[in-house]
Amino acid sequence: MSYRLTQNEADAVFAELLKKFDIYAPHRHVCAGRYSDDDIVKYDKVESLSDVEYKKKSDYPMKEVISPIQQALFYFTEDEYRESKVSSRPILIFARPCDINAQKIQARIYAGNGGFTDSYYERMKDRVKYILMDCEGGDDNCFCVSMHTNKTDNYSLAVKFHEDGSLFVKVKDQDFDNYFQEIKEIEFEPEFVNKNELKVTVPVIKDHETLNKLKAHPMWNEFNSRCISCGACTIACSTCTCFTTKDIIYGDNPEVGERRRIESSCQVDGYTTVAGGISYRKTAGEKMRFKMLHKFHDYKERFVDSDMCVGCGRCTARCPQFISITTTLDKMSKAIEEIEKGEV
Amino acid sequence: MNQDINIKTLQKNCFRQSKVPGVFLLQMRVPGGYVSAEMLEIVKHISETWGDGNFHFGTRQTFDVCGIKYQDVPAVNEYLEKYIKSVEEDVCGVDMDLIAGEKVGWNPKAGYPTIGARNITACIGNYHCVCGNVNTFELARKIEGIIFPSHYHIKINISGCPNDCNKAHLCDFGIIGVAEMEYHPDRCIGCGLCARTCEKGSTRVLTLNEETGKIEKDTCCCVGCGECARVCPASAWTRKEEKYYRVIIGGRTGRQTPRTGKMFLNWASEDVVLSVLKNWQNFSAWVMNYKPEYLHGGHLIDRAGYKKFKEIMLEGVKLNPECLVAEDIYWHETEYRSNFNVKPLSLHHTAGPQDKK
Repeated sequence: MSYRLTQNEADAVFAELLKKFDIYAPHRHVCAGRYSDDDIVKYDKVESLSDVEYKKKSDYPMKEVISPIQQALFYFTEDEYRESKVSSRPILIFARPCDINAQKIQARIYAGNGGFTDSYYERMKDRVKYILMDCEGGDDNCFCVSMHTNKTDNYSLAVKFHEDGSLFVKVKDQDFDNYFQEIKEIEFEPEFVNKNELKVTVPVIKDHETLNKLKAHPMWNEFNSRCISCGACTIACSTCTCFTTKDIIYGDNPEVGERRRIESSCQVDGYTTVAGGISYRKTAGEKMRFKMLHKFHDYKERFVDSDMCVGCGRCTARCPQFISITTTLDKMSKAIEEIEKGEV
Repeated sequence: MNQDINIKTLQKNCFRQSKVPGVFLLQMRVPGGYVSAEMLEIVKHISETWGDGNFHFGTRQTFDVCGIKYQDVPAVNEYLEKYIKSVEEDVCGVDMDLIAGEKVGWNPKAGYPTIGARNITACIGNYHCVCGNVNTFELARKIEGIIFPSHYHIKINISGCPNDCNKAHLCDFGIIGVAEMEYHPDRCIGCGLCARTCEKGSTRVLTLNEETGKIEKDTCCCVGCGECARVCPASAWTRKEEKYYRVIIGGRTGRQTPRTGKMFLNWASEDVVLSVLKNWQNFSAWVMNYKPEYLHGGHLIDRAGYKKFKEIMLEGVKLNPECLVAEDIYWHETEYRSNFNVKPLSLHHTAGPQDKK
């Protein structure tokens, strides 16, 4: 069932929802951008509909709500420990199809990969329901259609914000019917983007020999001088799941502290450092090669049905060096063509 | 050629004497060094009609048109009306009828009324620059009406960030946009890029604590450049929305005692900077016994002494809580002539109101 809510009605429904749910949405932080006077849009707990930035795609992904950049896993005192606690309140997240689809990919890594379920991820994910946000084609970095992540039916409510403050809502999940009882029904179906300005064809690496030749291809050298290995692309990525853990000691007593999980990045120094101080991927080109092949080959090799990318384009948008992931994919395709023709 | 020209009057009219008798250079003010490109048509017309067909970017970001003949000055002044009204009145909101705050009345056909307060220069600031912390030319436009028109001299340079490309350290009153930074440890991945960047390009105030994986900061030595926010991959560093300024005074070049300016205010709000500058006329008038003469602003600070400068400049100013003020300033000058200031008492300058003798 669908409704058109006036601004007052929408505010009232939101206030009702707040009684039961923690609600997260893209939120604009004025002047908190990389450059002076630029804003940043990231996911935050919101208290009213006016807190929701519905026009601009968030600079940082929705995944931060479910797998935050930093979280305490457990606390220890001498030989005892206890797990960190999270609220039991259910969560509602305003999200676009790319971010919702990204959770399918994240869930594969966190929950079940290698026969292990990450309970810290699971306990968050289980609380979440989605409010699908209307996406009017995204921006010029988006390529969700190419990645087949432009549509989703994983949502409880679908909304479209209107300029006049009114809100179109489709209620898909009957648990939410009672919030709209007083309101007259209308016809409204969420629309999905079916075309992006940017189109990408993910190259197919047909065998191991091609893969090895691609790894050795000179195309990666370009990044040694261009990429600064800051990791902004992976922090902005909707699907990246890498993290590291650190035991934090409270004060001067080494018996008391917490184990903390912090998001990590294959691009930053120290990511591949092992005992003895050896690093496997030292150059920016090697790190970029790892990221691209991990996303556009390795993941699919293991999980078959998709690549590890939803085409949100945030990596390209956040790269301070203007390295475009789609152009890099095109370069990969060209390199594979050369390899297949026997030119390299 | 027999010419009777009062070059002092022409100078006040912003026409500068050249090597050739009767030929002058017009200096057109460009507050903040930023102006609509359509103004170039006016510069072009003046240059091609009365000048030598070229123009020079003045060292204080003015449009300088060379080769203007004395007899053409009235025609140039009349034509300048459009430019002055557009740039000074429309864009900067300057009341051209006031000189140093006093109602004098401006004849719009007679060109610039004063040359004392020099063109305010600025880097491009955060309008364009990835390092800039403030909008420099918007600040310049707000200051323009405070210091111009006036016969009292002051050179103001505005830099958008502590890199100070526009040399706030080398003028009477230099203004540098500084950012107060906020650290969000919950967003920090401990990569240490901010610390490395601060070490390489700023004041080494950030350290990655290997035990906690978080950044520690020596707040007292932070110059507020904002480089940490520029490089952070996760927005763990952000600038506060409020804008702050550092004010550097008394810097100068020159034949006698060039010197780098010293910090007068740090973390001043825009309101504070503007209200301090509103006292500049009073200060100058006091030092020069209420008779404006051609004397560079920095020398006025020397004559009065920093503490008197501070007293007058801070009169009625409500400082924002973050604002710090230099208690004293110890200048470091290049003395081309050693012990330059040691001379017979009769050669000493006076400052402040002089009793009639």
